[in-house]
Amino acid sequence: MNDDKAIRVGGGGRSREQTLAEAFVSLADTLVDDYDVVDLLDRLVATCISVLDVTAAGLLLDDQKGHLAVVASSGDETRLLETFQLQTNEGPCLDCVKTGKAIASADLDADRGRWPRFVPASLAAGFHSVTAVPLRLRQQTIGGLNIFHTRVQALLPEDQAIAQALADVATIGILQQRSNHRSAQLAEQLQQALNSRVVIEQAKGVLAERNAVSLSVAFATLRQHARDHNLKLTDVAVQVVQGDLELSNIVRGRLAT
Amino acid sequence: MPDRQRWTRLLAAAGAEPSSSPRRISELCVDRLGVTGAGVAMVTPVGNRGIVCATDEVAARIEDLQFTLGEGPCIDAVLSGAPVLVGDLDVVDGISLDRWPAFLEGAAAVGVRGVFAFPLRIGATNVGALDLYRDRTGDLDADELAAALMAADAIALALLRYRSDGTLIEDVDPYFTHQLQVHQATGMVQAQLGSTTQEALLALRAHAFVSEHTLVDIATAVVERRLRFPVEDQ
Repeated sequence: MNDDKAIRVGGGGRSREQTLAEAFVSLADTLVDDYDVVDLLDRLVATCISVLDVTAAGLLLDDQKGHLAVVASSGDETRLLETFQLQTNEGPCLDCVKTGKAIASADLDADRGRWPRFVPASLAAGFHSVTAVPLRLRQQTIGGLNIFHTRVQALLPEDQAIAQALADVATIGILQQRSNHRSAQLAEQLQQALNSRVVIEQAKGVLAERNAVSLSVAFATLRQHARDHNLKLTDVAVQVVQGDLELSNIVRGRLAT
Repeated sequence: MPDRQRWTRLLAAAGAEPSSSPRRISELCVDRLGVTGAGVAMVTPVGNRGIVCATDEVAARIEDLQFTLGEGPCIDAVLSGAPVLVGDLDVVDGISLDRWPAFLEGAAAVGVRGVFAFPLRIGATNVGALDLYRDRTGDLDADELAAALMAADAIALALLRYRSDGTLIEDVDPYFTHQLQVHQATGMVQAQLGSTTQEALLALRAHAFVSEHTLVDIATAVVERRLRFPVEDQ
């Protein structure tokens, strides 16, 4: 849901290992503070895109009512969101969550029979291969990290391992928000993360309309304000939606930083 | 606990008449979820509170206690937007005893051992909470949790069906909460109408109904700036 890369990776002739190490250090730093879980998940998705050279990525969580819900996506395009949202009913991410195992299709065109609704939607969105890795907590699978390529190709084993490592960070991020370990905490935290996403999308809509900007610029404005004032992204979003905070456009120079 | 399809049908039937649905859904929870009692409380953005229904005197007492004291799982659920699930009120778990000293005393006095509070909300829109209680200890299992979350959605939807003039709009796909475009569009329409989030969502749903489109179609048109509210010639 963000266009800016939250975690600076790549470039400058550094090795990929270096890039990856920096990305994980940055994520680990985030986990120490009083962080916003949806903000963290958005960063993870952005990291996924830059480190793995994939086209699109998204995180889906078990809503505990028998469906999957999108909690982070690398973009706001309708077709991309639909590709994720379709997986409430069928698709690699749903299979991944059901089995607790990574699910991949290197050539979606050849897998039409496997997912009759998901494949045409993915192809229409320009995606030709997909991988889903599970967010696992002991015996339970709480969601999946879904990555898409525009090319027909299988994800390299080392790339799949990186995707799994990022999925594990997402799991930790969702569960570590409270220090106590009551058995009910997982349910509370999953619902909290899903609801935070909804509030942030509502706030993006308010700002996009009021400031006459795109949803991604609206998101950048929200995030910039949260960082400048050391606030949680979700708290800023709630203030915007409730009309307690008016955020005008940030100047272009700030967006570019 | 009935299977999910059957539970969905039961909730839809109970939600058909919004004025009685909080009570009917609360009673369904007591019948099918192995809880002793249930209550629904409404909370408006300006902080007005009211007890919508309670299945028995103890459930009414739990609602009453929380509003009198200003503390308890229901209050926390409304404030945080996430369920608060306490299968054993006696267990010191770092949260409840510190946070709700007076509530715990009052709940114990009427024999309540476990409380499960579910916010009635869609995003930033909080309309209240569904409280389930047990006179014995024990967590909700995964099926009971799913059923309770669905029950809370059904009550929230029923309460959201009232327009400000008291009239009702027809129902829509309960899974619209999973469509991110709907939430983005709700925010945009809220700014277009200068309304609350709840009114914006109602406007979107009402327009989808009268124009015979799905809510997601209407939301997508708003997000792509092909449609603005108020809609002309409605």
